[in-house]
Amino acid sequence: MRTAARTVFLAGMALALAGCASLGPKPWEKDLMARHEMLVDPYPLQTAAEDHVYFSKEASSGGRGFAGGGCGCN
Amino acid sequence: MQLKKRRRGNVRKSLARISAGLLAAALPPLAGQAAAQSYYDDASGTRNNNFGPGFTYSQLDAALLVYQEAGGRVGAIEPTANLSMHAADGRQLSIGGVADSVSGATPNGAVPSNLPQNFVTPIKAQGSSASVTSASGGSTIIKLPPTPGQLATAALGRQYTVPANTLPMDKGFHDHRAALNGAWAQPLGGITEIGVGAGYSRESDYQSITANTHLSQNFNANNTTMSLSLNSEFDSSFPFGGIPTPLSVMNAQWKTQSTRDKTQLGFVLGLTQVMTRSWLTQFNYAFDQQSGYQNDPYRIVSVVDPASGVPTQSLYENRPQSRQSNSFYWDNKLDLGPTVTDLSLRYFTDSWGIKSVTADLAERLNLGSAFYVEPSARYYHQSAANFFHSYLVGGQALPAYATSDSRLGSFTGTTFGAKLGWIVSKRSEFYVKGEYYAQSGNSHPAGAIGQLKQQDLFPKTSAAIAFIGYSWDFH
Repeated sequence: MRTAARTVFLAGMALALAGCASLGPKPWEKDLMARHEMLVDPYPLQTAAEDHVYFSKEASSGGRGFAGGGCGCN
Repeated sequence: MQLKKRRRGNVRKSLARISAGLLAAALPPLAGQAAAQSYYDDASGTRNNNFGPGFTYSQLDAALLVYQEAGGRVGAIEPTANLSMHAADGRQLSIGGVADSVSGATPNGAVPSNLPQNFVTPIKAQGSSASVTSASGGSTIIKLPPTPGQLATAALGRQYTVPANTLPMDKGFHDHRAALNGAWAQPLGGITEIGVGAGYSRESDYQSITANTHLSQNFNANNTTMSLSLNSEFDSSFPFGGIPTPLSVMNAQWKTQSTRDKTQLGFVLGLTQVMTRSWLTQFNYAFDQQSGYQNDPYRIVSVVDPASGVPTQSLYENRPQSRQSNSFYWDNKLDLGPTVTDLSLRYFTDSWGIKSVTADLAERLNLGSAFYVEPSARYYHQSAANFFHSYLVGGQALPAYATSDSRLGSFTGTTFGAKLGWIVSKRSEFYVKGEYYAQSGNSHPAGAIGQLKQQDLFPKTSAAIAFIGYSWDFH
């Protein structure tokens, strides 16, 4: 079941990548994407602090980045 | 005012000199790198840290996290800082540090009882009586009976008493941690970016060493980015009192084994796509493998009388030494002019039987060009690990693994927060954020025995979180 889910996921990624070719704005339409708040992670210290809190209090970690906390907080 | 401006300029120049020195040491000079252009007199407006091609700049981030749980439980203060130096051709060097101080009462894993309960833990034999007083959590020093083969330090122990109908907590918890990390990234040939990083974290009873590398490639006129990141971690646990034998009875003896290790390997495969002029989406798959010691060496699980439900023994917990986890993460950012929406969803599953879902929503609202507010909400729910037991029943065979750590039980966590940001200039920003986090679980599970039916078996956690940050981009 898990293997099947992985296969479907990877196939989905490949299809998504192929489909991406026709997606997206032209270079002169990227004014909004150039704004600081549109970065994937515009406030990395804030993200790290929140991930640290949740890593210490919950069983799940990773997804946005690596799993684990690099500390003995959990 | 004049004085303030001049002083700020001096600090800026000093930092710029330090930054330039570090860059000069790390990077060969580039044509045009020295080109200086003043951005500091720009009127306040949308923050823009893109200095344009051909410019070297640095980014300094500093922040303070303050965390406090209700009911006198865990509190933490964590200052952090990071300096990133960006060369003109895309090369980046960053160094950062974190310190934190944690203290407060923490649940020890035992269930409440309708009778007072005593718990014993090790202390250092010499000088400990002065540091463990009633003020530090109602603890008393006890003399232990001599045990053949035990270490000499086993002569004394610490005992604390928990009143009837009260969640058992150890109030003697405190720790300090310091961590350093560094990273390097650069373009390489046709590869958009390749990078390496390392980190070191040390606390009084734990050490962690991490190393990572990543590769990312842009396609489709930079609208698509594929990335692969690899992470490795080597941790050592050296708990106060030594490594307890799993599922043995809690005692105040110093254990002969002092250290156990854990290794961790993982990767994240990511796809980021600019969908439209105002919509950015990211999809990540993360896999992680952990092997080695994963017990909480201080945590116990109660064995209760099968008729009355009264705890009769406290056993050290035990968790499997292997754990694999999978995360599917999807993030969306939508710029609708005055607002920016950030919605992320995550599904997590692991080999311990835990499944979780997370939804995180933040809505940024710009108030003119200099300020913004960002309310946020987060929902999290997890199922229990398949070896989670609120308690064990006396007279039954012991399971191979058992923990009563509520973080491995089933619960729902909700967070509400609000952030206020001030764009001081195009190159600097100050922000504060306040959050409230609460967990809720099943306080009265079906099948509770005897007096446990009247007890709250989920140790609720609620916490206030404050975060203050400052970010500054400079030449």
